[in-house]
Amino acid sequence: MGKETKNIFFLGKGGVGKSTSSALTALHLAEKGKKVYLVSLDPAHNQSDIFEKKFSGKPVKIHKNLSISEVEIVFWVKKYLSDIQFQIKRNYSYLTAFNLENYFDIIKYSPGIEEYAMLMAYKNIQEKAKDEDYIIFDMPPTALTLKFLTLPHLSLLWLDNLLNLRNKIIEKRKIITKVKLGKKEIETDKIRNKLFQQIEEYKKLKIIFEDSDKTQLNLVMNTDKLSFSESALIVNHLAEFNIPIKNIILNKYQKDFNTQEIEKKYPDCGLQLIPNSEKPLLGITALTDFLHVLKSFIEL
Amino acid sequence: MGKESLSKKFLDLLKQGWESYKNTMGETAVETLEFELGEMENIFGLLVLGSFIGFPSPPMQITLDLLPEMEKHFVLMLNKVDTAQSPLSDLLSTFDVI
Repeated sequence: MGKETKNIFFLGKGGVGKSTSSALTALHLAEKGKKVYLVSLDPAHNQSDIFEKKFSGKPVKIHKNLSISEVEIVFWVKKYLSDIQFQIKRNYSYLTAFNLENYFDIIKYSPGIEEYAMLMAYKNIQEKAKDEDYIIFDMPPTALTLKFLTLPHLSLLWLDNLLNLRNKIIEKRKIITKVKLGKKEIETDKIRNKLFQQIEEYKKLKIIFEDSDKTQLNLVMNTDKLSFSESALIVNHLAEFNIPIKNIILNKYQKDFNTQEIEKKYPDCGLQLIPNSEKPLLGITALTDFLHVLKSFIEL
Repeated sequence: MGKESLSKKFLDLLKQGWESYKNTMGETAVETLEFELGEMENIFGLLVLGSFIGFPSPPMQITLDLLPEMEKHFVLMLNKVDTAQSPLSDLLSTFDVI
């Protein structure tokens, strides 16, 4: 049996310390001898600043067990749209395909494309990082992350209904062929095949996101009220889609802060406290030193 | 002999009548089914490609993934938009009323 790679996502409100928490976790696991791949899906890309090294879409090794990359969403949007355009040019008449070109110039800014490009990048990383023990995802702020995580579920709702209608159309077409030609013709409906393909892919992703053995969601928050209320919103929203939060990371924690309220509100979640650092957490040495200050680290 | 050929003629006539009745009814039934099928295809096209004419649509990637296989729907839908200003004449011509 091949080993299973675990996906760890760090999500939360903008500026709470998702990138720092994910960098610390990645380094902590790498120090423990685990093979780790840290990926930034956040278009703001803070990992380059944190590790003081320029990263790109290709993984760069910065520790014997740790590689890092920063996904360029724009690259995936372009790749996706050019693949579709290529298929259209192959299947459509010249004039219709030509007329659609302007549409593709605009569609790259269309809502929904960004999270789908993220999903494509995610699938690609899953394929390429099969040998890793952990893939750690530094996610964008709340809105985009929620759209990304719930995209398989919402797409399946549409696809199931479209497939139903497609099946009815095919059934009706079969009856007409039988009456006209006196026999049932077995035909392959390309649209139905595409719908099936999409359903299979989204089902796989949905299962991965809902499976706590394969996916772990860590919610990063600070001690302020705004961060608290946005975190509650994230937890409730994801619960509607059966996606549980595994751990709460309380970043910039101060010793006089009472954690009881968090423990009471999220009894099923682990709690990791990350205190305020006296020095800026920039560079691999500063991060490693800070890890030694932390007495314990949650189970991942 | 004459009686037999008369009854055969009558039977043939009856058969012919039945056949032409069956064909007419069959054609009508198939035409209705074909009309229904056409409308279902239109609805499917509208559901998937509705964003082109300002209709609520599924997540963009579902539309885009199906688009390469839907040229017929796409062209048909754009043509339908052209006739959308005169739905009554479109309907009348479908039923061949005028």
